[in-house]
Amino acid sequence: VSLTLLTFLPLIGALLILFVPRGQTPLMRLIALGASLVTAIVGVLAYTAFDGSQAGVQMVESAPWFVLPGGTEVHYRLGLDGLSILMVGLTAVLMPVVILSTWGHVHERVKEFLVWMLVMETGMLGVFLSVDLVLFYVFWEVSLIPLYFLVGIWGGERRLYATVKFFLFTLAGSLVMMIGVIALLGRFGTSDIVELSNRAAGLTASQQLWFFAAFALAFAIKVPLIPFHTWLADAHTEAPTSGSVVLAGVLLKMGTYGLLRFGIAMFPAAAVKASPLFMALGAIGILYGALLAMAQTDLKRLVACSSVSHLGYVVLGMFALTSAGLYGGVLQMVNHGLSTGLLFLLVGMVYERRHTRALDQFGGIATVMPLYAVFLVVTVLSSAGLPGLNGFVGEYLILLGAFEASPFWAVIGVSGVILGAVYLLMATRRVLWGPLTHEANRKLTDINAREVVLMLPMVALVVWIGVAPNAFLHKGEASLDLVLRRVERARTQLAAQATGTPEEVAATDALAGDERFFLDGERSLRDFYYHPSPVADGRFFLGGQRSLRAISYRSSDAVEAGR
Amino acid sequence: MSAPDLARLYDSTALWAISPLLALSLGVLALLLVGVLTHARWARGVVVAATLALAFVLQAGLLADPAGTVLDGTYAADRTSALWGLLFLSGTAVAWLFSLSYYTEDRPYKVEHDAMMLTTPIGMMLMAGAQDLLVFFVGLELLSVPLYALCAFRRNRTRSVESGLKYFLLGAFAAAFFVYGTSLVYTATGTIALERLREVGVSSPLALSGVALIAASVFFKISVFPFHLWVPDVYQGAPTPVTALMATGTKAAAFAFLLNVTFLLPASAAMTIAMIAIVTMALGNLGALVQTDVKRMLAYSGIAHAGTVLLVVAAALAGDPQPHGALDAALFYMAAYVFTAAGAFGLLALLERDGEHFTSLDSLRGLAKDRPYVAAAMTLFMLSLGGIPLTGGFLGKYLVFYTAVRADMIGVAVVGVLLSVVALGYYLRVIVAMYMQPAAEGLLRRGETSPVALVPSTFAAAACAVLVLLLGILPGWFLQQLG
Repeated sequence: VSLTLLTFLPLIGALLILFVPRGQTPLMRLIALGASLVTAIVGVLAYTAFDGSQAGVQMVESAPWFVLPGGTEVHYRLGLDGLSILMVGLTAVLMPVVILSTWGHVHERVKEFLVWMLVMETGMLGVFLSVDLVLFYVFWEVSLIPLYFLVGIWGGERRLYATVKFFLFTLAGSLVMMIGVIALLGRFGTSDIVELSNRAAGLTASQQLWFFAAFALAFAIKVPLIPFHTWLADAHTEAPTSGSVVLAGVLLKMGTYGLLRFGIAMFPAAAVKASPLFMALGAIGILYGALLAMAQTDLKRLVACSSVSHLGYVVLGMFALTSAGLYGGVLQMVNHGLSTGLLFLLVGMVYERRHTRALDQFGGIATVMPLYAVFLVVTVLSSAGLPGLNGFVGEYLILLGAFEASPFWAVIGVSGVILGAVYLLMATRRVLWGPLTHEANRKLTDINAREVVLMLPMVALVVWIGVAPNAFLHKGEASLDLVLRRVERARTQLAAQATGTPEEVAATDALAGDERFFLDGERSLRDFYYHPSPVADGRFFLGGQRSLRAISYRSSDAVEAGR
Repeated sequence: MSAPDLARLYDSTALWAISPLLALSLGVLALLLVGVLTHARWARGVVVAATLALAFVLQAGLLADPAGTVLDGTYAADRTSALWGLLFLSGTAVAWLFSLSYYTEDRPYKVEHDAMMLTTPIGMMLMAGAQDLLVFFVGLELLSVPLYALCAFRRNRTRSVESGLKYFLLGAFAAAFFVYGTSLVYTATGTIALERLREVGVSSPLALSGVALIAASVFFKISVFPFHLWVPDVYQGAPTPVTALMATGTKAAAFAFLLNVTFLLPASAAMTIAMIAIVTMALGNLGALVQTDVKRMLAYSGIAHAGTVLLVVAAALAGDPQPHGALDAALFYMAAYVFTAAGAFGLLALLERDGEHFTSLDSLRGLAKDRPYVAAAMTLFMLSLGGIPLTGGFLGKYLVFYTAVRADMIGVAVVGVLLSVVALGYYLRVIVAMYMQPAAEGLLRRGETSPVALVPSTFAAAACAVLVLLLGILPGWFLQQLG
């Protein structure tokens, strides 16, 4: 399976659409849907071909791109590993749904809309698949532009304000990251992400912190973490439905994905040091987002605020830096994409029919739109974390992992679960049930076949992940284990530096240069280092012995091994 | 100087070195002669195009086979100056192509216009290759004097005349500064040859004050703080193709010289220069943010870009470990900037109706619907000016900040980078107007010109767009030339 093909198929579709004469809207839609469907198929093929037991980058495609003055060779290099596989799968599967959903609400300048949508898909896939830092950065910034146009042209009343705000907020972060990229490339003379991760682990904690800060700012704005969240509500509210779905479903994940790949995996010592801060930001985000959501009267704004809350979980889990937390965080990225994406789709469907999103304009919809009610209830329950659906698995793992690291923030996070149920169920009640008070609502038609078809695959995934999460967790297992090992080593080093005797420090220093930690996917070593032990709270979800090794990894063994 | 001496001076190497300059000079003369033939107007365009093409080929030949320093060590025809030269010629060619369909009422005087325009690259190339302060001065005047006239070329427009006068008065001051500075340097060190100056060094107070005066004059030409105030008025008033030439050519040539004479500045000036660069970026960007006229906005943006490139000079002074790093970064940045800015100004020229106010933001509204290709190209140029990846502007910005980071000026780099976020604020406004706002009521766009007349400008715009994309997507070739 060619990753280049996967990345650029949507772009080919976009180019094809450009040649379709104006007015041939059905043909354009067909091409767009076709391109995204073929991409989805290639994506699923890549997903199944991916071997989750290998930690290294797989299916690499590489070609020299250009040489920077000073001799740093920049490559066009794509690859898949356990950190990106789920995001690639999510993107590929979500996009046909998004494109199908545009049938309902995009009637003007359809050509440009579809072109931007497909360009955006290429950009997003590129971000997740790049294994070259410069290439990653290029895709990262380029993926800004389509959404800028999508919101700016097809958005709501205050679209210009929202889209410029979105662009400038994200760009500010990106440019600070650019300084980080420059410094990193200048220091190590390579732009290969794997190589950089290996070498950056050898930096001292304080050096790592500087790099970490430069990168994490960009990602924190993108996620967005609490002090930077103001652009999101505006962008979501003003964006057209499909724009919101992509924004919530995939684009925000570029932030959490970046935190994982560059924050934690590349600068583990800095991540250990920054972990309390990010856990706090995540937990506060959960609570704050939930409180904001409770106060909203606009349905779409409510979903947008819930999105802030749910992404708080992802950050809380990842920065707990425990096995369960990390696995949960990665899975929750997918969950959030599915359930929030569905929520935006559902809000969009009712908006297309009623042209309002004000909560008090609804009530009793379930009687006129029974099928809609079914989908909304399933989605809301998934989002609220009902056992048996996907949200529960992610949230449970995250809270479990967070509790290991910091019971206090875990408790805050749990309260977010309760509040989440409150605002989601309250909103559902106000929309679906009660008397049908508004005359306009009587004439509402139930969702049609197209709308059912486009939501079905997502709902199927919601249930599938809820019932059998292991199938998904295993894909990232080896890579996540590697990340955890790096974190553990960093922790050991930091602890030794703080309290240890000179010999211990020397031992961990030796560890810093230990190549074995760099050999991604060296299985025998994993088997050597990881002792299975029954500290197995995550057993139910992680299943199998291999995952347990990750949990029971003991830092003292590493010191031992270093000697 | 006796005849044999002269013959020795102008040996075959020297002639090869200055062959592009000779080609341009002969072209100018030929053009003036052809201009007399009133029944063969088409020949004028042919002469200009042929001259530019010939000069370009010769310059490209020099890039492959550099002649080295010639004419008694006063003019260097090395790879660097050849690259600069190619850039100047491209910039001039673009500006000329845009000028073809621009003028209506002043069309009878187009020969003079073209002759002056063709003179400017001679000046620029002399500036870039100058190894002697006086040679630079000759180049500076060869560039400036035609530009003064070109700015005021639309004699019946107050703004154009005002622009020419302003530029002339301030430019004359700057030239005087330069000459005075040179005389001080000569008094203190006894030489004006860069090679000698490098050996003896400039450390005496007298020489340093001379250097300061020279720097002031060069800063005036590249338009950095505090010598930037003339830019908005002059750029706005001048005919738009001339603005394109000024914004790109003058600036690039002055930078080429500045990078040649960086060694004259004391290393302790690094932080001062960095501060000047930051202040320039801030003033340029903040100034541009409040403009409602795109031409004026681009003028302010040009100031900001000059500030960005100046960072490279500061980095070189602060001790860039990579010997040619600063030069490479500046060259790439200016290359990207020349094509981007020339393209953007050119598109404005294309949209203007006889130079009247069709450059306001409001007049660009809804352009995407009426002229989708113009809007798309303009978007590309705006994104490149803003330094978004896949355009030349991105890699230029990357290299400039790379240089700054290498010289341990990380704080400066971060401030600079954040200022370029401000820049996106106004570049986006152009895109917003074109794509996201409906056309203003009663707006009539230029429609009466025949499509044939627009071929040259369309070609120039397309060439600029392609080059901007090439520099962004496949920069390998160009970077190799630098290395």
